[in-house]
Order: sequence, then structure tokens, then C-alpha cells
Amino acid sequence: MAELDAIGLEILTNALKSINDESFVALMKASYSTNIKERHDHSTAIMNADGDLIAQADMSLPIHVASMSGLMRCVIEKYGDDIHAGDLFVANDPHTAGGTHLPDVNFAAPVFVDGLLVGFVCNIAHHADIGGMAAGSMSGGMTEIFQEGLRIPVTRIGTKDEINQEILDIFLLNARAPTERRGDYYAQIAAAKLGVRRMQELGARYGAKTMRAGFRQLLDRSAARIADALKQVPDGTYNFRDMMDDDGVETFDIVFEVTIVAKGGKLSFDFAGSSPQVPGNVNMTLNATQAAVIYAIKALLDPEAPNTQAVIDCAPITAPEATVCNAVFPAPVAGRAHTCQRVIDVVMGALAPALPDRVPAAPNGANTMAVFSGIDPRNGEAYVYLETIGGGAGGRPTKPGKDGVQTGITNTSNLPVEAIEMEYPLMVLEYGLVPNSGGAGKHPGGRGIRRVVKPVDHACTFNGVGERFRHAPWGLQGGGDGGKGRFGFIGANGDETPLPGKTGDRLVPDGSMALVESPGAGGWGKAE
Amino acid sequence: MSWTIGVDVGGTFTDFHARDGASGREVVFKRPSTPADPGEAILSGLAEMAAAHDVPLAEAARIAHGTTVATNALIQRKGASIAAVATRGFRDLLEIGRQVRPHMYDLNLDKPEPLAAEAMRFEVAERLDWRGEAVLPVTDAEAARAAREIVDSGADAVAICFLFAYRNPAHEQQLANAIKAIAPNLRVSLSSDVQPEFREYERFQTTAINAYLQPLMAGYVERLAAGLDDAVKGAALGVNQSSGGLMSAERTASFPVRTALSGPAAGAVGAAHIALRAGRPNVVTLDMGGTSADVALIEDGRTEIAFQRDVAGFPIRLAMVDIDTVGAGGGSIAWFDRDGLLKVGPISAGAVPGPACYGQGGTEPTVTDANLVLGRLSPTGLLDGAMPLDPVVAEASLKPVAEKVGVSLQEAALGVLAIAVANMTRSVRRMSVERGRDPREFVLMAFGGAGALHAREVAAELGMGEVLVPPSPGIVCAEGLLVSDQKEDFVASLRLPLHADQMSVAANTVTSLATRAAEWFDAENLPDATRTMELALDLRYVGQNFELIVPVASAPSLSGTDMPDTTALANAFFAAHDRAYGFHDPGAAIEIVNFRMTARGRLYDAEDMPEPGKAQPMPEPTGHRPVWFDGKDSMETPIYRRETLAPGMTFTGPAIIDQLDATTPVHPGDIVDVRPDGSMLIALKGA
Repeated sequence: MAELDAIGLEILTNALKSINDESFVALMKASYSTNIKERHDHSTAIMNADGDLIAQADMSLPIHVASMSGLMRCVIEKYGDDIHAGDLFVANDPHTAGGTHLPDVNFAAPVFVDGLLVGFVCNIAHHADIGGMAAGSMSGGMTEIFQEGLRIPVTRIGTKDEINQEILDIFLLNARAPTERRGDYYAQIAAAKLGVRRMQELGARYGAKTMRAGFRQLLDRSAARIADALKQVPDGTYNFRDMMDDDGVETFDIVFEVTIVAKGGKLSFDFAGSSPQVPGNVNMTLNATQAAVIYAIKALLDPEAPNTQAVIDCAPITAPEATVCNAVFPAPVAGRAHTCQRVIDVVMGALAPALPDRVPAAPNGANTMAVFSGIDPRNGEAYVYLETIGGGAGGRPTKPGKDGVQTGITNTSNLPVEAIEMEYPLMVLEYGLVPNSGGAGKHPGGRGIRRVVKPVDHACTFNGVGERFRHAPWGLQGGGDGGKGRFGFIGANGDETPLPGKTGDRLVPDGSMALVESPGAGGWGKAE
Repeated sequence: MSWTIGVDVGGTFTDFHARDGASGREVVFKRPSTPADPGEAILSGLAEMAAAHDVPLAEAARIAHGTTVATNALIQRKGASIAAVATRGFRDLLEIGRQVRPHMYDLNLDKPEPLAAEAMRFEVAERLDWRGEAVLPVTDAEAARAAREIVDSGADAVAICFLFAYRNPAHEQQLANAIKAIAPNLRVSLSSDVQPEFREYERFQTTAINAYLQPLMAGYVERLAAGLDDAVKGAALGVNQSSGGLMSAERTASFPVRTALSGPAAGAVGAAHIALRAGRPNVVTLDMGGTSADVALIEDGRTEIAFQRDVAGFPIRLAMVDIDTVGAGGGSIAWFDRDGLLKVGPISAGAVPGPACYGQGGTEPTVTDANLVLGRLSPTGLLDGAMPLDPVVAEASLKPVAEKVGVSLQEAALGVLAIAVANMTRSVRRMSVERGRDPREFVLMAFGGAGALHAREVAAELGMGEVLVPPSPGIVCAEGLLVSDQKEDFVASLRLPLHADQMSVAANTVTSLATRAAEWFDAENLPDATRTMELALDLRYVGQNFELIVPVASAPSLSGTDMPDTTALANAFFAAHDRAYGFHDPGAAIEIVNFRMTARGRLYDAEDMPEPGKAQPMPEPTGHRPVWFDGKDSMETPIYRRETLAPGMTFTGPAIIDQLDATTPVHPGDIVDVRPDGSMLIALKGA
């Protein structure tokens, strides 16, 4: 067996990237739903025989990678040596199967070369519905995971390259729009099969032993690289606290607290002091917390580091059980995206004194969502229009924060105004930056986004999900806080009726317009 | 008036390809570019070529020009100060864009600053609805107020983009007239002229870039046209568009954004022409230069067209030849990443200092240094010795790589090439496999200064059986310009259900596009026999947010009666959907989003296909040198001059083929067939 050198490993890495990218595109092409086809809410990855992440597609999302890695742990724990060529595994459950919320369904297929297990190909896709109490399986107001949809434990859904149709039928019976779901599941299955085939072609070239050893070498090098990056944090104990506004059920401060210990080039993260898990769906399982922490570490210390298990596991992360950062059964978790943003905020905030020339002030810290629904008077058909809206990015030690942009764990694009008005009975009257919402400072924070939307000739329901409506994005090094988020209805006479940060379904009053303002961001440094 | 001259201006060289339509005589010529004023190299190059090769400039009917003026101005942010004018409530559109950031993790990497600073963004009280009907008309007073404000801002050019102006240009035109009334010389770009398609941000950005480039490009083409008028009196100037196809100097001054990919597009058109003449209509092109490699797919002799692409970080939504660019070129630097893996590119040594072996002070190892160490490039140097290369410096640059990896110098050099090849292989996979094409059914065409050096390895990686090297790999772009059509694209953005009762509206739309195309043919004085109209529709399933472009009809002249029925259109859409996405849904509702009419005037009379050559013996090699094809041993390899190879010759590698601007290593066991047109077709051993 030839050990691969720095050249051979780079070429192997390139081949793995190609396989992940091709699987990513294949999944996108074969899927039915706009969420996958257009918003690319899916990811692909390759793991080694131990289930450790070796490589991911360029466009894979951080939270998805945590979920795929979580699934692998559970597959290996449950099936051990009972894993065979042609198997296919599936799961989504956050509490028993390593998931982060139910709409994200994970698939994993083992790859055998020369009769040896060399690894797994994995993919994950956000399904537009996974059943449960409300369409879309993401609505606020649910208080236990059973209301959020179908829970899939780690399940062997395929053997000898054959899918167990009976299991798939259970999935389909439990989802709205089963035709679209079937298309998306088949897309995931096809992408997994393609990945296995490509990995076997690679195996024919390298042989199982070189491949396994190559994966180990890549992990070792990645571990050394990230360990080196962590050394940039000076020794010390760093603590930070921040709040979320509410859990979508009741309004009360939800505390997030982190204590980071840096010692001898190693870091550890402890979320003790954070609130107990809450009735609403903003709880996170520990691996979602881990995804958010790793995001912050990479962003501050080594943005170009390829994502591997060595990066994911580069620092111990602990949180007391049954808290918002380590929720346990039966906590609902569908709205975890907001929470990820706040975990990133506290990690950044804690490290600000340690890395004063790198850490920006707080970004908008939300995953601001606006949903409009009703019956389109032009054709009599029901419509639902959902959009997540960017906000300010924090002022930086070197320059101001960007206005109106996605930050942190999310980076999805908007829908053109002209597309909205063609598709839906809505008129967008304003789409711009919120004046004065960027925190003051030497390098001001970015501004939030303001949208004013008027329903055209029909009864329209508005549902807004926001954060940082009560607790402003903080400034750093003497910079001012950013503007808070705002929802409201603007009457025909211009009067504004404020709405809470998580509105629930509300009918837009006749002749009124809905107002959405995402938060700005904090400023950096004292204004001169 | 029988000569046509193609001129492609690149960063380093300005290339000329001239052809006499009467005698068939062709001349190629190369000279250094003059980046400060690219026109200078064109004018002096024409005179130099005329003198050196006896080209009668007075006999030139046309000059076809590929330019990087627009691209460079965008990259270097050297365009005009512009005012950007939007519908009231939307002045920040250019800033917000698609609200995404360019890198998931890098907190300091931003999308480029908007071309119009905050103080230069203006609003007008006006509004059209989705049907293009005025909900809030522009009053004369409001137009006058806005015009005054815009003119007083001191902008050099103005971009106007109102919501739904693609359905109804009246409001944009009203404001443009108000501006003209008080500032008749101020250049104004309207979104309804530049790119009348839905999606306001992309349309606005494309319009803003157009305005940003207008003053500069107008000045450039005016100076160039005046200079040509002295040098080549009477010759018409055509400038290549990013979609392949020429436009007049006047239109170039009005629509400079259309030249953002002028040069690479010429390369793809030239490659398609050569592919057909070499009898290989399905090729993937690998155009590798000093800093990057461009990959494009050509099927049945036609280039693929894409409708959106980022240039210098800005999205441009216009028809453009579909090209994937990867940071792998002769100057790409080999370096060790933080995890110790060896990387090649995208950082490049550029032209200055250039690869270490140029001896201009560069010390870092590049792809060119690796080729020299392996004997694949001649130590006599590039351009027939005009640019000598120093193997000693090349070896010194690669020595640290070899030591760090723990391999021989030659193995390190092969490793550098293998990594560059892996990067290009990914690009070819993106353009073929990920778009539903099997690369094994295509031939890899290598050009640019460095393409032929690496194409063999790329082809082998992908299981492609043949590599095609054109007769003059260094001037394929200039050749593409020579054979380009005059071309204009018309679009009508109209969302229409694909349903029998909508077909009369569709037919009327096609007729009005055809009328505009016919008017354009007349205005350009293009004879009837040269005219072609091509109709294509952007179709999608209702509810989808992306379209597939489906060619519908092509004829010397089209009208509404040429629209196929809904069944035929649906079937064409299904086929396109199958290819792009692997399935189609026969029951789902389909809609038309855009109507596209391309008008082409053929300027170039195709030469006759070359006669097959008779089998003939190989010339004597000009010498031998040791070449490493693998890391173990060098092989004493015969060297041939490309000019001495004639159609009908065949030979088996190893061999090195040297020519003025390219080198082709033929690997052991590969078989070369010199085609009737002079191309080398290399059949890979074992393929």
C-alpha cells in the first residue's frame, strides 16, 4: 500500500469534492420542490468508515453537516458490524437520531471497496412538509415535538440496492403534498446511489486500504490545522450573556450564556447559565449548538479550513441537559435557526476581548421570516408566500458592517419584487434599508431591511417570526447598539399598529399594509 | 475590398487573423498589447502586419474586434460616476441585491460596493403594476424635479430602472426625455433598453454597469474608429459581444455591458468553427492562458448560451457564451495550504514577474516552471526563443516543493501539473457531467498558450478518447472574430400560460419581435441572403422560479405564424427539462416567461471544407531532448516544428511539437493524425 503524499492527498481531496458536488447537483436536479431546486436547502458529504466527516460539497450548509454527522454516529452505534453493501439508512429525529429538526431528512449509504467498508456517502434535504400540526412543519406555537411532524428513527430503508417501499409509504402518508415528497425522496435516494457509484470508481483506482489511510491522513492534517488555528486565542476565561426575546408561545427573556476557557492553545465551551428548555420551538439539540459554535470558530480563526470531523470536534462543547442549548425529549425544535444565530452572537461576544482585532459587533441576529397567505382573487387559488429577510451585519474592526445582508448560519436569497407581484396578489410599496438602524461607531453597523407590503383585493393573513425585537444587537469597543426589528400594520391614514416579534397568523386589516423591519447591527468602536 | 481582419486584444498580446475572401490567403500576426490605450496596439499592429505580410489594408472591408476594455474597467473600478434612479421606495435595490454574502464563513469578504454611492441614488414617484399598467403616473412636474436633481448631482452617466419597465417603458422614457431637455449630452441607460426582462435587481445592476461603462467605451470606440478611418479607410468596425456575434461601433457605445465577455466569447466561436472544419462537431474547449483556463461546451458546432454570469462580482443578466473559468494557468503558483496539502493557483505570477523561469525576479514555482523541468517546454524558450526560459531557476523554484513532499524534482513537477489538471478536470465535469452530458462523447479541444500542454491528462482523467489541437492554438479568438456574424438579440418579457387560447397573443408578440429584427437588418444593410432569425422561448412550470430556454424556430424570416402549437412547445420543454433535471412532469401547467429573437447577419462566407490530405512520410525531427512523461525516467523525445507537419501525416508519441505560441507534448503510445485543416487529432493510447 502506497501512502499518499501532499500531492496525492490534494488530488484525492479534489476527487472527493467532485463527487460531493456532482451528488449535490444531481439531488437538486431530480428534486421536485422549490426549496431544494432554487433555495438549495440541501447538502451532501462523504464520511469515513467510522462515520467521521471527510469532505462536503462546497454549497453544504453548516447546520446540515452537523445533522449528517449526527446520523452517522447513530447508524454506527445501532448497526455496528451489521452494515452491508447496498444498504441505505434514513433518519430525521433530533432526540434519537442526531438530527436538528424534523424537516431535514438525512440519508446515508455505505461504500464498500474490495469487500471492505471504506466510508459512507450522505445527503440531507429540507422537506417543505414533514407532517404535524401545521403546513410546513415549522410554525411557532407548538410545544412538543410530536406536533412538529413525523419522527424517523435511524432506519435501514434499503438493502441490496432495493428500497423498502413500505417504509417510504409511511413517510408519504404522513406528509402534505405527497407527490412532491416522493420526488424529493427519490432525488435523495438517487443522489446517494450516484455517490456510492462514484466512490467505488475512486476505490477501483486507489484500493480500499489506500483510501482508508488517505481519509485518516486528511483528518490528521485537518486536526493539526484547526489546532493551530485555535492557538490564536490567548489563554483566559471568557464569558458572555445575551437574550432571545420570546419562544413564540410567551414573551420572556431566554438567556444564553457561554464560558470559553482557552488554555495552552486549546478551547472549551460551556453553556451553563443558559435558560432551561422552553415550551416553544426555539430549543436546540446539542449538535445544532455545536454547528453554531463551529461556525463562529471558523469565521474568526480559519474561514478557509475545509469542514471535517476534526473541525467539528476541535473543542469540547458542553451544556446542561434540558436547557435551550441541549434540549431533550419532548422539546420542540423546528425554529432553531434563530437560536443558532444567538449562540453565534454569544460566542463572538465572549471572544471579543480575546480577539479585539477580529470580532465584529453583533449582526441582526435573527432569521426574520414573513409569511403571507390567502386566496388569490385573480385565479381563486390558495397561495402561501414565505420569505426570510436579511438585516444588518456588525461593524468590523477594519470597516463598517454591510447593510441588508444574510449573516451567521443562513445565506438564502430573496425573491424579486417583480416575481412576488406576478405570483401573488401583493404589492410591495417599499423595499429599502431602515434609516438609522446601523449602530453608531467608528465603523457603523449595517442597516436592517424595511418592507411594506399591501394585499391587493383579498383577505390576507400575515405571520411574522422575528428576533431582536426587545434586545438590540450590541455594539463593540464603544460602538452603539443597532436598531431592533419591528412588525406592524400601517393603516390607510398612515397610523401604525405595532405587532409582537412572533405574530402568529393575523388578518391584515382591510386597507392596511404589513410592515416588516429586520434588525440592524451594532457599531464597532467609538464614533469620532 | 476582400479582406477581413479579426483583432483580439488580450492582456499580454494583441492577435490578428486576416483573410482574403478572394484568394483564401490567411495571415496571422501577434504583437504586445498596449494596456494604457489598447487601440494603439491595434493601429500599429495593423501597419506592422501589412508591412511584414503584405496585407493590402486598403482592401479590408471589415475589422472584427474582441475587447477587454469593459471587463478591465469593471475589475479596476475605473468607470464613470453614475446616478441610479429607481421607483419610489426602492432606491437601495443596488445595495441589497439578493441579500446574500459571497462567502459563508469569511467575515471580511464583501460583495463589491454598489456602482452608485448612496448620495447618487434617486427615486421618482411613479409605479406600474405587474401588467405594466400605471398605478401612479409620472407627472411632468415630478419628471422635471427628478431630472434637475439628477443633473445637479454631477453624474457622468445615468441608469434608470423602474419596476415592471420591461412591460412598459413609458415612465423610463418620460424621465429620460426630461433629463435630455436640460442636459442633452448626458448619457442615459434605460433598463427597458438594456435588458427588458423581469427580476428588478439583475436588470438594474445590468443597466447600472452599462451606464458605468458608457462614457469610457464611447470614447474608446470613437477614437478607435477615427484611427481606423485613417489607417483602413472604409472598413466597417464590428465589436464582439459576450454572446458571440458582432455589433456596430454605435451600438457598442450605447450598450458596452454587452462586451463584458467579448474575448472569451470570440474564443468559443473560433473553437466551434475549427471543430466543424476538423470534423469533430462535439467538443469541450480548454482555453488555458497565463492566469486561468476557460472551459466551454460545443455541441453540433454550436456554443451553449447562458443568461446570467458574475463579472467582477456583479451579476450581469444578458446572453453570454456559457464559460466556466478556473484559476489554472501557466503562471499559477504552487503553494502549501495550512493543512500541508499542495495547492496550485488561483494565485498567479501574472506577466510580471511571471514564472520563475522567466528570470524576471519571480521565485515561486509555477505550472510553467514544472513544464520546463520536465522537458515539456523547450529551454530555448517561448515565441521561438524571443522569451528565453531558465531551467536552473525553474529547478530552484521547485526544489522546496520536492523537499517538503519528499520526492524527486521531476515527481514534484509532475505533482504540480497533476493538481492543475485536477482543477481543470473539475471544471470540465461541471460543464458536462453536471449538465447532463457525458464527456466521453466529446473531444477535448486545447488552445491558448498552455492548453495543449495539459489537455492530454485532463482528457485521460475523464475517459475522453481524443484531443484536438487547432493549427494556431494561440489565436483562436482572433479566428473566431473573423468568422463571426453580425448579431442582435431582442427580448419580450411576457408571462403567458402555455394554453391554446393564449397563442394569438404569443403570435402577436413574435410578429412584433420579427418586425424589430427586420428593421435592424435593414438598418445594418445586411443583404437578404445573409439573414437568419432564431426564435427561442423561456419556459417553466407554473410556480418554478427558473426558466429553460427552448429553441423554437429558425429561418431567414419569421412571423407569428411560425409559432408551433402548444403540444409541440410542451414536448420541446419536456425534452429540455429531461436533459437539465433528469425528469419531466407531463401533467403540470407550463408558462412562457420570455420570448427571445436573435437576428444574425452572416458576414463570413464559409470556406470550402479542406481536401483530405494524402498519406505522407514524417519530416526529420529538428532535434531530440529528454522529456519526463512519468516521474521515473526521461525519454529521449523527437522534436518537430508544427509548420513541417502536413495533412495526412500520422505518427506515434513520444514527440514534442513546437510552434510559435504553443507546445504540444505527445505522450508515448498516443497517435497523432494531422487533419485536412491542419489540426492535430490525438488519439489517446488505450482509449
